[in-house]
Amino acid sequence: MDIIVCIKQVPNPEHFSKITIDPQKGTIRREGIPAVVNPLDRHALEEALRIRERFSGKVTAISMGPPQAREALEEALAMGIDDAVLLCDRAFAGADTLATAYALAGAIKKLGKFDLVLCGNETVDGATGQVGPQVAELLGVGHVTYVNKVEFVDGESLIATRTIERGCLKVKVRLPALLAVVREINKFRLPTALSIIEATKKEIKTWTNKDIGAREETIGLSGSPTQVTGGFKLELKRKCEILDDSPEVMAKEAVEKLRELGAI
Amino acid sequence: MDFGLSREQEMLRKTVREFAENELRPREAEFSQPEGEWPYDVWNRIAELGLIGLAVPKEYGGSGMGHLARMVAIEEISRVYPGWGAHLRGFGLVPYLLLNHGTEEQKKKYIPRLVKGEIQGSLANTEATGGSDMIGIETTAKLDGDHYIINGRKVMISRSTVSDVFAVTARTGERDRDISAILIEANTPGFQRGRVENLIAHSRTSPVGEFTMTDCRVPVANRVGAEHRGLGVILGAINGAGRTGGAGICLGIAQAAVEIGTKYAKERHLYGKPLTDLQSILFWIGEMERHVVRARWLCYHAAWLLDQGKRPEEIRAEIAMAKLDASEAALHNCLKAIEIHGAYGTATEFGLIRKFKAALDMIAAAGSNNISRLIMSGATVEKY
Repeated sequence: MDIIVCIKQVPNPEHFSKITIDPQKGTIRREGIPAVVNPLDRHALEEALRIRERFSGKVTAISMGPPQAREALEEALAMGIDDAVLLCDRAFAGADTLATAYALAGAIKKLGKFDLVLCGNETVDGATGQVGPQVAELLGVGHVTYVNKVEFVDGESLIATRTIERGCLKVKVRLPALLAVVREINKFRLPTALSIIEATKKEIKTWTNKDIGAREETIGLSGSPTQVTGGFKLELKRKCEILDDSPEVMAKEAVEKLRELGAI
Repeated sequence: MDFGLSREQEMLRKTVREFAENELRPREAEFSQPEGEWPYDVWNRIAELGLIGLAVPKEYGGSGMGHLARMVAIEEISRVYPGWGAHLRGFGLVPYLLLNHGTEEQKKKYIPRLVKGEIQGSLANTEATGGSDMIGIETTAKLDGDHYIINGRKVMISRSTVSDVFAVTARTGERDRDISAILIEANTPGFQRGRVENLIAHSRTSPVGEFTMTDCRVPVANRVGAEHRGLGVILGAINGAGRTGGAGICLGIAQAAVEIGTKYAKERHLYGKPLTDLQSILFWIGEMERHVVRARWLCYHAAWLLDQGKRPEEIRAEIAMAKLDASEAALHNCLKAIEIHGAYGTATEFGLIRKFKAALDMIAAAGSNNISRLIMSGATVEKY
């Protein structure tokens, strides 16, 4: 089974408190924040490896980003994937989710035959959850989001269990398909010393837009129907109100107030 | 001069940090219990991640990543739980000994199994007469055909209750230095594990104790290195893998203490402002960082020299300085972090007191600090 995993390098969530916003430009300052593979993408990589271990095949990871994003692909290689492609071109810069999806879909088409595309359900920085479904649409394949379990029934389709509010939904989907996974799907492996050594010896292909041949108006800033125009820090202010009555009355009042505030 | 870690070493650090944070930190309280079975599952994970064989060539089952990689791994594990850092150090001693002095048969028989975590090995030199006085040992190994008959008692041996094979020093001749290094398996008739010491950082995770050998018959083929040359064999391992590993443990403790102390100082408000606004506390924080940075360079440099092919006896002073400095950094930083915490400093929930106890244990472990001073000072006098 040939599996493609889309991954993204993101700022380490443990250091989110150090992220600041440029007051003039309204953009996020990420300098000095260590980068990691988006946590849900690691679950996607793990699932791909487990499927390969069962059915054999090949796992390729793709990431779009600046040159340092190759570190994310190196880590994916250290987990045990077979191949890695970095989409790196100034033409891709400033992409929103749709323009990102065009670039990723273009790269997947260039890779040729595939049975499954896996990705994290969303990233910890953008958290839109849009790229996966958009890639699937552009590839013309079905997709399932919030996937917490994958079962293979026959060679032509699979059953994906997706997390929904207060339960799960089992969806049968024909292959090839795209699955966007959540963390409950598995516990991802850590690279071992040996796999790290092997990973650093493997080549990471770097493709520009010339390699994937996407139309200029579909990628980067020019291909982005949405643009971030500014950012601001949420000011969280605390307000204290003291209730003074019998426990029963206070409990009732507290519930009322929480309802008024929309907290419950 | 390149002061950076390689990409491989950086990735290894990331893996080990993640392992320590996710798999060791949540179990700190459990590991610290005085009673209970030794956590074999953690040992298996450490082996699975390839951490035992970092400084072991691929042909014997390791990754050959080197001594600096091993130092980084020990540092990262000790930053979270020094007891496991001490084990990772210990797991590397017998492989190191065999790599440098073992026969091909010994290497093939033991190293791959030690690296994979199928068996455990410990170095066993210390006796009731002391560990630093190596020629004072009383254990004897008398030749009887193609076997040695070993009699003696070893004390303060790391993982005395769980190791499967011990590299012991034993007297094989009449002269003071007629000492040989011999491998003895724990299932040898006459081998008896004894009491476990109640050291300050003692827990179920760190059994340090004794064993006795009564008329143990061990094949001569188990001797590591030449007959009567065991002192050099054991000292090489203590120096090259033991003391460097000890330096790594101390480094991890020192790093943990500066992190814990600084975090608390930023959060704790006094007189309406964080402790970091008080210059006396602020200076302590800077001093803690200075100690850990200085120790790190000494430690990494010593490990790097080993990776450059230097023999441990050639860089005795560098290794001794690294262990001594890291040990002092660990003690200094723990004390300062405890002081920053005020009365909470010794509360077990902050984990500082556990780190401080480990730092205290490290004064004497892995070659005592005074032995390090002796080596360092002797080498300096020789140099000028």
